[in-house]
Amino acid sequence: MTVAQTFPARLEALADLVAFTATGLAHEGVDPHLLTTVDFVLEELFTNVVKYGSRASTTPVTVQVGLQAVPGGIEVVLTADGVDDFDVTQAPQVNTSLPIEQRRPGGLGLHLIRRLVDSIEYQYQVPQQRSRVTFRKTSA
Amino acid sequence: MLKIGFGPQGAVVIEGRLDAAQAAAAQSFLDTVSGPTTLDCTALEYISSAGLGVLLKTQKRLRANAGQLQLTGVNRHVHDIFRYAGFDQIFEISAAS
Repeated sequence: MTVAQTFPARLEALADLVAFTATGLAHEGVDPHLLTTVDFVLEELFTNVVKYGSRASTTPVTVQVGLQAVPGGIEVVLTADGVDDFDVTQAPQVNTSLPIEQRRPGGLGLHLIRRLVDSIEYQYQVPQQRSRVTFRKTSA
Repeated sequence: MLKIGFGPQGAVVIEGRLDAAQAAAAQSFLDTVSGPTTLDCTALEYISSAGLGVLLKTQKRLRANAGQLQLTGVNRHVHDIFRYAGFDQIFEISAAS
């Protein structure tokens, strides 16, 4: 990764993550129109770790985010240590055509990110309780 | 940062980023509105699923009481998110001019 930064898995760190992403995409010379989509996907993945990632951990969970330019866009790697195994790429689909009375907000973020990115991969290393999500977004 | 309040025309005006860190503040304000309500999104730069949850909860409450939330001035990115989330089926949405 060309640029990377580590954040505490707390909601208060979200503003720092947003600032890092804006600086990182500019540093990498990536199309600024991709920023809001990258922000969206990163926020969903980061808050997922904040909310659900640390049930098994007795030490504070940290999240490292790395950014690297690829042809036409950006590759982002989010690595969290001390978290449970939860494959975000296999989260249930949400039926977005249901009438409002049957709509529930839960799960919508992970559902949407699959639509927004070009590719997304999940890996989990048991010894370190380390999850690693890699996604790509290009202008294509 | 997020700013939310009533504008001079009576609409609710929202500015900035409606993300997970700001969702509780937005929900607290929107819990105070009633009846037909316009949310002016002209200066709403960004919304995440946490923000979508705020709007969905508000729309459910208003509709249960003969009201509804109308979204105006929506920028292209936010409009795309609304569309992918199926919100164009449950909100009246007008795009930014």
